[in-house]
Amino acid sequence: MALKTEEMVLNMGPQHPSTHGVLRLEVELDGELIINVKPHIGYLHRCFEKHCEAMTYPQVIPYTDRLDYLSSMYNNFGYVVTMERFLGIQVPERVEYIRVIMGELQRIASHLIALGTYGLDIGAYTPFLYCFRDRETILSLFEMTCGARLLYNYMWVGGLSHDLHPDFVPKCREFLKVFKPNITELNNLLSYNKIFVERTANIGILPAETAINYGITGPMLRGSGVKWDLRKNDPYSIYDRFDFEIPVGTGAQGTLGDCWDRYFVRVREMEESVKIVEQALDQLPEGDINAAIPKRIKPPVGSIYGRVENPKGELGYFIMSDGSTNPFRVKLRGPSFVNMTVFGELCKGHLIADVIAILGSVDIVLGEVDR
Amino acid sequence: MPVKKRKKDFTLSEKLYIPEIMKGLGLTLKHMFKPKVTMEYPEVKFNPPAAFRGRPVLVQEENGVERCVACGLCARVCPALAIEVQASETNLDKERFPERFEINMIRCIFCGFCEEVCPEEAIVMSKDYELVFRNRNDAIFGKDKLLVPIAKLHDRLEFLRNFK
Ligand code: SF4
Ligand code: SF4
Repeated sequence: MALKTEEMVLNMGPQHPSTHGVLRLEVELDGELIINVKPHIGYLHRCFEKHCEAMTYPQVIPYTDRLDYLSSMYNNFGYVVTMERFLGIQVPERVEYIRVIMGELQRIASHLIALGTYGLDIGAYTPFLYCFRDRETILSLFEMTCGARLLYNYMWVGGLSHDLHPDFVPKCREFLKVFKPNITELNNLLSYNKIFVERTANIGILPAETAINYGITGPMLRGSGVKWDLRKNDPYSIYDRFDFEIPVGTGAQGTLGDCWDRYFVRVREMEESVKIVEQALDQLPEGDINAAIPKRIKPPVGSIYGRVENPKGELGYFIMSDGSTNPFRVKLRGPSFVNMTVFGELCKGHLIADVIAILGSVDIVLGEVDR
Repeated sequence: MPVKKRKKDFTLSEKLYIPEIMKGLGLTLKHMFKPKVTMEYPEVKFNPPAAFRGRPVLVQEENGVERCVACGLCARVCPALAIEVQASETNLDKERFPERFEINMIRCIFCGFCEEVCPEEAIVMSKDYELVFRNRNDAIFGKDKLLVPIAKLHDRLEFLRNFK
């Protein structure tokens, strides 16, 4: 005689160390198997979009910092690129190069956190500390340039807030030299670690078709084997001048599109970012760091959508102008938020411990999911 | 439910978890002999570079008068609406001075726009990063806390001249 069983609802979070912030997961369980997961978001909602309407165009920039606070530089980047297209401004060469350098360093920093905390979630404490050690160097580079360690407010419409410190280029090169062997160290320590592979391979498989249907972007999409990167597919700024590859998942340890693939795409992307920064440092021209722009920024009446490849995926800004100094409407297409939508699908049929592994591989930042 | 299909081509020694753990511990051991990357914070104080954006302060000239001419631009540009300036007339050359100048340090987001916009270089970001308040009223910094003698701000003023 079979015993009567009942489904159970379990709340994970909002105060759970593995939810990467204040996220509540309502997990429906059959024993230890997951039937359904419902994420409840909004604990960190700060009305970003509405708030922008009360700000002038430049004043929005510090608020974009606070969306995905682990990749602030790139949020700035996306906003200023969109605004400059809206206004028809051409920024000086030097600015473009510095932006790319900063953006790619930020990508490394963001991925380091993603990888480090992923290990931490699964039970590997040590790699986390080494990842933070390297990230620290990047933050010091940022700090030396713009004065902040997390929320930079560095890229402004038509230019940058400060020029590079003369020490920046040598220090950056030194960092890249130290960092390259550190990636190998991380691979040896975590990526090919049997315990880690057992926890991540064949878990949370995301087929390419599902990923596209859900509008997933970034390392998650590439982990499923789709070669899609806005830096190549829809180049903005000066990304068409650099020689780099788009790493995609291969299913090396399990199935294509599993957690390990998503993890490893990030590792390989860091290597590519190092390449881009090296090339940009070599070509870095001298020059001005501010384009001539009007004192009061007033875009023409109309709207624009601009998108960039944030470390987490496609970051898009939809900006609508009514001709005044404040935007009429700002809408953000956040990669974490969209990537989060497929989460329930990924978890179905897995064990409860895998929820943590899957969530870590999605790499969300609640600041931007809730915004 | 997904079918569990795992690669089983691990060798026997890899099947044991012990070597993996040993490898990790080996790395830790190696790092024991490398220079330290951490800092013991409250005992050792962090000395920020000149670029650092700490709390905004008002520059006080050698004669004890603030540079600010109470134009109110900083209050206008502040995205967090943290600044309040009340202007008043004075007999000094600058004609106007801030009778009251308040920054709400709970609101301030350390963006540096006030410093950028100020025509007199009267408000600058300092290296001060230890900000603790016991209640909300303490967090509203008036002129008494904001004024800092120019001698202490040379670093920053120098930096602004070179990198703006
Ligand atoms: S600090 Fe500068 S910007 Fe602010 S009121 Fe004084 S002079 Fe004007
Ligand atoms: S740093 Fe920014 S938020 Fe703080 S007072 Fe100045 S303008 Fe306002």
